[in-house]
Amino acid sequence: MKVRFWGVRGAIPAPGPETNRYGGNTSCVSVTGARGQLIILDMGTGVVGLGKQLMAGAMGRGQGRAAVLLSHAHWDHIQGFPFFPPVFVPGNQLEIYGHAHSTDMLEGILEGQMNPHFSPIYTLRNLGAAISFTAVAPGEVHDVDGIRVSAHPNPHGHTSALAFRLEEGGASLVYASDAGYPLDGPSRETLDLYAGADLLIHDATYTPADRATRLERGNSSHADASAAALAAGARHLVLFHYDQDYADDTVDDMTRACRADLDRAGGRDIALTAAAEGLEIEV
Amino acid sequence: MRVRFWGVRGSIAVPGPTTNRYGGNTSCVEIAADGIDPIIIDAGTGIRHLGKELAGSAFGSGRGTAHLLISHTHWDHIQGLPFFAPLYTRGNRLHVYARRRDTHLRAVFASQTESPYFPVPLDEMRADVTFHELGDSQKFTIGPAEVRCTRLNHPWIALAYRIQMGERSVVYASDTAPFRDILFEHEFIGQPPAPGAPLEPAKAAALAAMRRSLVELCRGADLLIYDTQFTAEEYRQKPHWGHSTPDDAIAIAREAEVGTLALYHHAPDRTDDEQDAILTHCRAALSGVPLGLVAAREGLELTLDASGARPTKGSG
Repeated sequence: MKVRFWGVRGAIPAPGPETNRYGGNTSCVSVTGARGQLIILDMGTGVVGLGKQLMAGAMGRGQGRAAVLLSHAHWDHIQGFPFFPPVFVPGNQLEIYGHAHSTDMLEGILEGQMNPHFSPIYTLRNLGAAISFTAVAPGEVHDVDGIRVSAHPNPHGHTSALAFRLEEGGASLVYASDAGYPLDGPSRETLDLYAGADLLIHDATYTPADRATRLERGNSSHADASAAALAAGARHLVLFHYDQDYADDTVDDMTRACRADLDRAGGRDIALTAAAEGLEIEV
Repeated sequence: MRVRFWGVRGSIAVPGPTTNRYGGNTSCVEIAADGIDPIIIDAGTGIRHLGKELAGSAFGSGRGTAHLLISHTHWDHIQGLPFFAPLYTRGNRLHVYARRRDTHLRAVFASQTESPYFPVPLDEMRADVTFHELGDSQKFTIGPAEVRCTRLNHPWIALAYRIQMGERSVVYASDTAPFRDILFEHEFIGQPPAPGAPLEPAKAAALAAMRRSLVELCRGADLLIYDTQFTAEEYRQKPHWGHSTPDDAIAIAREAEVGTLALYHHAPDRTDDEQDAILTHCRAALSGVPLGLVAAREGLELTLDASGARPTKGSG
């Protein structure tokens, strides 16, 4: 599986020279499988760049197909959807999997985004692409174009966000954005989902000091991310979903501190990368 | 009177090195003058940074009052509001003004921050938020400022505002299509009409009246901030998207004899270099014409006085 980062920011896009290196777009990661199957993890503003690239291929001819896995429906994880060019091309197929009690509720969430008060699109029915919805229940396993997808919800403030595990040909990656664990760490079920992952893309919104003052927001610090990677035996940790007020230099500092934490705690063998727009990792 | 740009982009925020100079945040403009509460127009992502600055004044201790004029509630004009720091301090007051709809304005804004879209519902934000519903053509006052609005040609309808303080005045006109071939009411327009198709006479008359009202609103203003998202070619492809070109803006500005025109609501795909080229081209075309021209950029502050609009911050 080939992973590419299109948006690595949390909460709200953060344009400006101070975010040029890691990028200011909100959450979006693409995963391309061995046969070229495409899975999109979240649709923050980063999905616009992905969509433009896809328009040069089958999506531009209305012959494209992708699955979208939505961790949850906070704006920073869906706000790029109405600006994703392939969605306007008849013939394209988009299968959206998300965190809702029912398929109708999931569709209703994205329908609300297109409401004419807020969007000139008025309704999902005005989009050209064929869109299907699947509500994902914890513990369910879905075969998405030959990629095995399982999910488990993490606490996220007053709500929860799905973490996804993707497996193909013996390789595994986990996407765990917006994880606000209790102070004693992730649940047994969460660690089972992460167990032995070749790549763990993990919420690292805050420094530990900032998380301590913002516990109610339900996001991780880089220390929570490294602790989860150690506990789950992940091979490669990727820090993700930085706070909108963190300049590139702050992310540099967080990454250095996280490396030191891993080394001290017996995680010298765990590779560490700070997600940046444009970064590609082969799993 | 001082006018400061906090977000100048249309449609969606566009971070990245190609937008560093003009800025990638969506629409937000602040109007300030000595002795009055800040007047903010639109609450795109740019309002987050304005909020941080205001938190350093009376708003930091819950003693601030601000007035927010909303052109319309499309995402790029409201998406920054939940990140406006003064909303989270008890004692602050925010007055929000927008066009009256079938749905109560408070309900429209509340749905932006309800579950599952945002963690903090509007009713739990600590500041006191009051909504004021406006007609298509209305006059009201904010302290010593006189405010007038008129409707624009945009899907779901937007309002333009004129803020007048004594002799000084600024008009904000975003978002709007020109007034020649499509009239936006409440209906969805998926495809533009066939080129050359004649407009129904009633619609043509309504468009002409709308344009006359806008020109009157702009009459003699020191500064006109105008939606110029499109190039002429982009407009030809998307006349139904509800945006104008610099030529459309210049025509209105000249007819209304405004002092300075600010190109605004830049397309998300427009790089800084492309925006420079548009400005250069327009300036050349205006050679000898008594109309000042700037392209709005984040951080730019224009001070309006008897001699016109001059940059006092961020003219870099």
